[in-house]
Amino acid sequence: MIVRRFGVRQSRQLLALNRRSPISSRFLSTETQTPVDTAQKEAPVSSPNPLHEVVQATQNPRSLAQKQFKKQEQQRSKFNKLGSAVTDSHDPEGLLKNPPRPSDITLELLLASGTHLGHSTSRWNPQNSRYIYGIREGVHIISLDVTAAYLRRAAKVVEEVAARGGIILFAGTRKGQKRSIVRAAELAGAYHIFERWIPGSLTNGQQILGHCATKVVNAMDEELPEFKADLADRPSVKPDLVVCLNPLENVVLLHECGLHNVPTIGIIDTDADPTRVTYPIPANDDSLRGTNLIAGILGRAGEAGQKRRLEMAQEGKTLYKPVTAGELRLDPFTGVLPGAEQTKGPKRD
Amino acid sequence: MGKINLTALRVRETALNQFAAGKIKKLPQWVEVVGDIPPAEALIRNRTPQHQLVRQRLQTNPDSSKPQVVFEVQEKRRKPKKPSRLFKPVELRYEEDQLRTEFFRDHPWELARPRVVLESSGKDFEFHDWSRIQQPGKKLDGESVVQRQLWLLNNVPDMTKSNAYDIARREFYKLRLKEDIQRRVAAEEAQATGATFGPSYLEIGMELENEQHEKWKTWARLEAQVMDQRVVAMSGAPELAMESETERPADIAQETEESA
Repeated sequence: MIVRRFGVRQSRQLLALNRRSPISSRFLSTETQTPVDTAQKEAPVSSPNPLHEVVQATQNPRSLAQKQFKKQEQQRSKFNKLGSAVTDSHDPEGLLKNPPRPSDITLELLLASGTHLGHSTSRWNPQNSRYIYGIREGVHIISLDVTAAYLRRAAKVVEEVAARGGIILFAGTRKGQKRSIVRAAELAGAYHIFERWIPGSLTNGQQILGHCATKVVNAMDEELPEFKADLADRPSVKPDLVVCLNPLENVVLLHECGLHNVPTIGIIDTDADPTRVTYPIPANDDSLRGTNLIAGILGRAGEAGQKRRLEMAQEGKTLYKPVTAGELRLDPFTGVLPGAEQTKGPKRD
Repeated sequence: MGKINLTALRVRETALNQFAAGKIKKLPQWVEVVGDIPPAEALIRNRTPQHQLVRQRLQTNPDSSKPQVVFEVQEKRRKPKKPSRLFKPVELRYEEDQLRTEFFRDHPWELARPRVVLESSGKDFEFHDWSRIQQPGKKLDGESVVQRQLWLLNNVPDMTKSNAYDIARREFYKLRLKEDIQRRVAAEEAQATGATFGPSYLEIGMELENEQHEKWKTWARLEAQVMDQRVVAMSGAPELAMESETERPADIAQETEESA
């Protein structure tokens, strides 16, 4: 009795809930009962106690579901320890999520990724004969130690160019290469193309890429908006290094790179022309796992280079010759404009 | 430029020349990188690796107590290679190739079994020890027999090919039999504890066949009726047709009763 009163007094909000007001069985009963009997029957049957009623009222389906869920979770945590634990299972996303570093290149890794499989012997390009280990089942097998050596060399180039603040472009226009390309570019602080290379993007850049945004950054990669006006009549930005995962389909891109004197890295299968690129990586370009691996390794190399560059910039050093503000203000068409001296930084896209 | 385009390989030279000639005001940042890490030599033909089939055998000698390891190299061809084929890649051949063809010729249905060809690290072979046929993490299959046979040939003194094949095969059959028994026992256990596997393939097949028989029955009945009617129409006695029609269902009913 005291408890009920307490509940009524203390919880106004509970009482404000839309529910049947508690009616004491005392007032309801038409039968004559001894007070002792009522006290005994009251307790188990239903609750005149407002606290109990409130609990009943909030038992909507949602709370039931919550309870059930909780129970399931408890059961799961209890029984999860049973059974066998799967370890060392293959993770197809692993190469994308956590690509290996150039130091992790092993022949076993390359073999497991299928980079050694070339094309049918009838489709070979004899210029690739030095990368080929042998013939197996009518298919050329690319020498894995050569692949590893060339891949390490290419990774070194990517790292050095990134350390000098160069603009790197990753291009992989085959179906399924999108994610690895984007991931590699993200790691290396580079740019990517996973759709068609628009012919003329380099040779006719003013028309095709003229509307694209450019910015001036300092050595710490912070944007300097005060130079925005000076970028108006500049030619479109050229990459310093192009990484191409499928040189066979991107002949136009590589040709334009040749015209504009841009070094290139490419995966050269046994049917591709190795002279199209500056740094060939003899490997299978048809296996997505293989291209993912190579893109990931190059991305990691770029990441290391960017890290080194930013660390050096913290100390006030650069591997490249920074562009002075005066040079930036110089307009190629109208002549020389005066500029401030202290701000400097490389011009990047 | 001729047939071969060397522009990509000469980017650094071109950049230096352009700078010297004043075509570009500034050397690109990559020039010293390309200078430090020069591009690969292209268009240089090296002799491709020559592969020979090597067989390793263990032979007992009456003079010494220890068996001797002998390597047999495949004989060189009598006719030398054409000079024009000098730089062509050579076929890769291994001793187990022949063992493999032999095994799968004798057991073609082994090729129908599903197989895992994916490796995550490429180092699975490090866990394999072919002194026994069962390997951790590898399903027993034809390749196990081939590798076991090769190990026997390489490591057991005076082992012949057919002997090794028999030993490896026997181990393989024994384990396959064991697998069968394990599967059967597991199924029985599961059934004993209340599992149901649904109808078997045979039962499903029989059901489908019965269905087709029923269809044929109705079709045949209709055909018989049509033929009867045709005969009656030719003879010109429609009342006969009426009779036969009334009789027929009764006949069939009798037949079915008899068969039941």
